[in-house]
Amino acid sequence: MSMTPIALAASTSAPASSDTLPRGASGFPSPADDYREAPLDLHHHLVRRPASTFFMRLEGDDHHHAGLHHGDLLVIDRAISPRPGHWLVAAIDGELSVLHLERREAQLYLAPSRPGLATLPFEADDDRLWGVICYAIHALPATGEEPAEPSCLR
Amino acid sequence: MFALIDCNNFYAACERLFEPRLEGVPVGVLSNNDGCVIARSEEFKALDIPMGIPTHKIDPALRRRVVLKSSNYTLYGDLSARVQQVLARQVPTLEPYSIDECFLDLRGLQEDWHALGARLVRSVVREVGLPVSIGIAPTRTLAKLANRQAKAQSTRPQVCVWTHADAPELKAHLSRLSPRDVWGVGERLNARLAGMGVLTAAALRETPDSELRRRFSVVLARTATELNGHPCLSMSDLETPRRSILCSRSFGRPLRDHAALAGALRHHCQRAGEKLRRDAMQASAIGVYLRTNPHHAGTFRHACEWTALPFPSADTQQLNRAAQRLLARLWQPAAYQKLGIMLAELTPRQQSQTTLFDGAEPARREALMEAWDAIRARYGRQALTLGPQPVDASWQMNSAYRSACYTTRWDELPRARAR
Repeated sequence: MSMTPIALAASTSAPASSDTLPRGASGFPSPADDYREAPLDLHHHLVRRPASTFFMRLEGDDHHHAGLHHGDLLVIDRAISPRPGHWLVAAIDGELSVLHLERREAQLYLAPSRPGLATLPFEADDDRLWGVICYAIHALPATGEEPAEPSCLR
Repeated sequence: MFALIDCNNFYAACERLFEPRLEGVPVGVLSNNDGCVIARSEEFKALDIPMGIPTHKIDPALRRRVVLKSSNYTLYGDLSARVQQVLARQVPTLEPYSIDECFLDLRGLQEDWHALGARLVRSVVREVGLPVSIGIAPTRTLAKLANRQAKAQSTRPQVCVWTHADAPELKAHLSRLSPRDVWGVGERLNARLAGMGVLTAAALRETPDSELRRRFSVVLARTATELNGHPCLSMSDLETPRRSILCSRSFGRPLRDHAALAGALRHHCQRAGEKLRRDAMQASAIGVYLRTNPHHAGTFRHACEWTALPFPSADTQQLNRAAQRLLARLWQPAAYQKLGIMLAELTPRQQSQTTLFDGAEPARREALMEAWDAIRARYGRQALTLGPQPVDASWQMNSAYRSACYTTRWDELPRARAR
């Protein structure tokens, strides 16, 4: 059984078009050229609308139960209209705050997770809305570690 | 039809976007080096603290009631680009005019102008979070006036549309405006117009074209034509293409050392070279100036010298070589407060025209500069510099109250608190 190595380009720039991809060192066109596609670009996947997308860092573990952890990287798209079930960034008491948008009967509420905080009625076109969170990126323990020599740990 | 769209109190609004506690608080933004106030929020204006006031001259009682911010052009530049992206998606032609204004060329569109204006304003507020106002009129000159009118509205969205140059509300408006309020009419021109009895913008547009051409200039005649609703000025008429570039900065503390000044000079040359290449221009002459602090005791020294470049160039190393020679000639022991370079005789860059004269390989030099710009754009300005740049960079500016670069640096992201 043969294995084909896959090159993963860690590119932050626009994906190269197939015209500009280098040929093999031998100078012969690779038979795979016709099947070549741009490498997957995570930034383009997460950021659909660059003009309205902002990143923030989550502070505090109150939303732990919902899988949102202290230090998570939040991807916020201001172009999205908030709907019940969305996680929002809102300016509350002069502070950028993360809350859950919920509907109870006909009324929308910003629901805090921290005990003791009141739910806040929320209107369509609410001035306090900053943006809708699309992704929370959570780092696992291996983040930032260097590749090691093949070891016996397997 | 043309539109001018302008961000209201742009710098203060950028500061507020990531610091909601500043909403409703008087915010002032300071110049490079925190020297004086260069931008104000509405609340700051209401305290009668004038534009341009040196920071240390603000009354201490008022000083306690306001928030001062160092200017953060990294942040403002990023948000400005976002505003342009949001607008460019919705209109055929966008012409950036300054960091917080752009013209939209709406010719060829058949729209409900008021609805279009409202839609554009709302999209910027929603997607970028900055308040903007829009003026729409048959010419750029009128659009600029319409924008000012829109800004005066207390209702949102701030939209002012003048569909025809002879609309009664426009006529009434022009008869209340001084010619000075019209774009491109300066103080001196205004005084000369007053001398011949032209006291309002309405009077200016009724002055015969031939008379304006004879007594003033073609450009003023065109301005009058624009006030009458006929577009005839292009962007390049309105803002004369940049004929010079200036890169200068005051030092955080006085510099005496020739080597430290040379480091600051290299920094300026890098920036000037990048500006030239970005605009596809080349310079023919370079000047360096140095001065001590005029407010400090001791002899005031101001020195400036120019030299022609061997051939028109946008090459950072060429600029630096000439600038360093000038510095060596100018330098005398003194405590310098400011160093700057100026580039003049800018012309559009011609490809490889220099081959005949210098026998070098200009195409290779151009490729080198392209690679230089690409590396610095991708890996940061510190990744590749012309000679060593001092790490402590004491000549760099003071910016004691700078906000974070919220949108361009991973380690300066805004924090959102879980509630």
